[in-house]
Amino acid sequence: MKKNLLILFTLVLPIIIMGCEKKSSFPENDKPNVVATTTLVGDLVHNIGGDKINLKTLMGPGIDPHMYKASAGDVTAMQKADMIIYSGIHLEGKMEDIFENLEKIDKKVLAVSKDIDRSKLLDFATNPGNYDPHIWFDVSMWKESALAVNQGLKELMPEEAETFDKNLESYLLELDELDRYVKMRSNEIPREKRILVTAHDAFGYFGEAYDFQVKGLQGISTAAEAGTRDMRNLANFIVENQVKSVFVETSVPRKSIMALQEAVKAQGFDVKIGGELYSDSTGDESMGTETYIETFRANIDTIVDGLK
Amino acid sequence: MNPELEIQMIAVIVAVASSLPGVFLVLRRMAMMTDAITHTILLGIVIAFFITGSLTSPLLVVGAAIMGLLTVFLTEVLNNTNLMSKDSAIGIVFPLLFSIAIILISKYAGSVHLDTDSVLLGQIEFAPFDRIIIGGKDFGPRAIYMMGTILVINLVFVVAFFKELKIVTFDPALAAVLGITPTLIHYMLMGVVSVTAVGAFEAVGSILVIAFMVGPPVTAYLLTDDLKKMIVFSSIIGALNGVIGFNIAMQADVSIAGTMAVVTGITFGLVFIFAPKKGLITTMNRRRVQKKQFAANSLLFHILNHEREDDVDYHNSISNIEVNLNWHKGYLDKIIDSLMDNKQIIIENNIIYLTDEGREYSIKSYEDIVGSLKGAYLS
Repeated sequence: MKKNLLILFTLVLPIIIMGCEKKSSFPENDKPNVVATTTLVGDLVHNIGGDKINLKTLMGPGIDPHMYKASAGDVTAMQKADMIIYSGIHLEGKMEDIFENLEKIDKKVLAVSKDIDRSKLLDFATNPGNYDPHIWFDVSMWKESALAVNQGLKELMPEEAETFDKNLESYLLELDELDRYVKMRSNEIPREKRILVTAHDAFGYFGEAYDFQVKGLQGISTAAEAGTRDMRNLANFIVENQVKSVFVETSVPRKSIMALQEAVKAQGFDVKIGGELYSDSTGDESMGTETYIETFRANIDTIVDGLK
Repeated sequence: MNPELEIQMIAVIVAVASSLPGVFLVLRRMAMMTDAITHTILLGIVIAFFITGSLTSPLLVVGAAIMGLLTVFLTEVLNNTNLMSKDSAIGIVFPLLFSIAIILISKYAGSVHLDTDSVLLGQIEFAPFDRIIIGGKDFGPRAIYMMGTILVINLVFVVAFFKELKIVTFDPALAAVLGITPTLIHYMLMGVVSVTAVGAFEAVGSILVIAFMVGPPVTAYLLTDDLKKMIVFSSIIGALNGVIGFNIAMQADVSIAGTMAVVTGITFGLVFIFAPKKGLITTMNRRRVQKKQFAANSLLFHILNHEREDDVDYHNSISNIEVNLNWHKGYLDKIIDSLMDNKQIIIENNIIYLTDEGREYSIKSYEDIVGSLKGAYLS
């Protein structure tokens, strides 16, 4: 037995030694290291911080933040980070408590949603005090988030304040243009036809901001399955309002929305699947939607084209 | 702060803490209890959420722990009726409690991010960042303290009740005669399992809880029959799985928990194949040796049976034996060679004769077989 243990140990030892070489997740330079959680937050930080910071985004495109599992490299990135920027309002769940706690030691921590007026947040009727975290599809809220990021980065690097302010200014202009574009496209559809049916309730703020009635098939949590009664009610709603298209989302499985389509068909009405919407993350480069602005443009085009 | 080292420390502590009750779970054939607990705690979290109305209340973790205890309690109650097997009892309790939780969520909390992950951290990757910081001073990861406490509790429990646990696990009837209540010990053991599972879920996540609590004890069981050694081996194997898994994950930049669980599976596979006594290779070898032994005996009996007959040179010729016993020529040659090596037979003119030694051995093994048959059928 002792001999066997010895053999085992000699096998294990090289692996342990090998493991000691660290993979670097940030380039070696003097710039501060910043970790962003979702692709949307990452894009925002990139727009304000530019090349003055080293940025690492933990979650890839199309990842549901709720289902995110860290990789070994993410651990090293978080260790080396000077600042961690996240979305907040419980989007990242338990991770947020951990981030906030880290603030007490050497890391700066920032929730992009921190300055948004809580009275503007959507409260869940069934569970008051718990807010909808999907703030990004209301451009005005994303502008407030941009301000928060600008402020946070200035605290991190006061010497680059001017650059960050300049970046913020031009980015806010781009966001204004995006806002105009979204409003223009929304206006192509008469108000009573602005009904957005999707797989999960990630478009609440979008509905508020651009006058869409939003119906989600699933709850906010992507982990819960849609109930049968929800499905029937929604099917009835679609038939009554003659909704032309329903939409799938990239970070949620297609099958619930396809089941809904079938339920509508059973009532003799045909509803199209209008296409895929980005909900919790940006798209990727192959689709030309790797930024927030491109992602939102793609979404509004899909929605309006589907409902026209 | 050194997350790499801390993750490995947490993994080792969780592995050892889980091995202690895990060994008894495996021996009691209730390994999947851990899987059940990691699911049913959702109900505890949901109920606690309805009471507190908040996703961040510490009561949610308390709810989870209580539901873990309720799960093992209900399973033990069903189990004690003796109307069903232990795994069936788990199969009843686990889906029941888990689906009540799902129904409650879809009915009353459909719009909230409510699931186990939002209350329990459940990611070993983040464990080193969940630190105890008091007054600006960093005391290290919370998981180390929590799992360290659980490890001490488990160690004290197993050491203090080792004799009772051993008797209750292997011979409940004897335990009852000796005045040890199996039920009480079982409830205590399952209580320890529940606390360990919930604590480890918070520290390292559900997959690793199951991997650490079941994998190493099963692996250790293949290496030894001694309960004490099994506990020690299991702890060492679990700790090694954690450390090796971590280092591979760092190299490959993949999920740490996932790699640790995979390594647990690989370690089991290697031991399953190569274990000195119960391993696949040993078992196959043993079977081959037994088969050859049986063939050699058959050949010897055949020769013994015919050696006094007139046409012995026909019956005991190699060519006839080959036809009679319906063996391949190569196989027959191998058996003959080994019997000749043992000096039990000799060959003259292609006819096999028993040596005195061979005859004595054949008669003895013949009588052994007949004797044992008589013992079995005529007593």
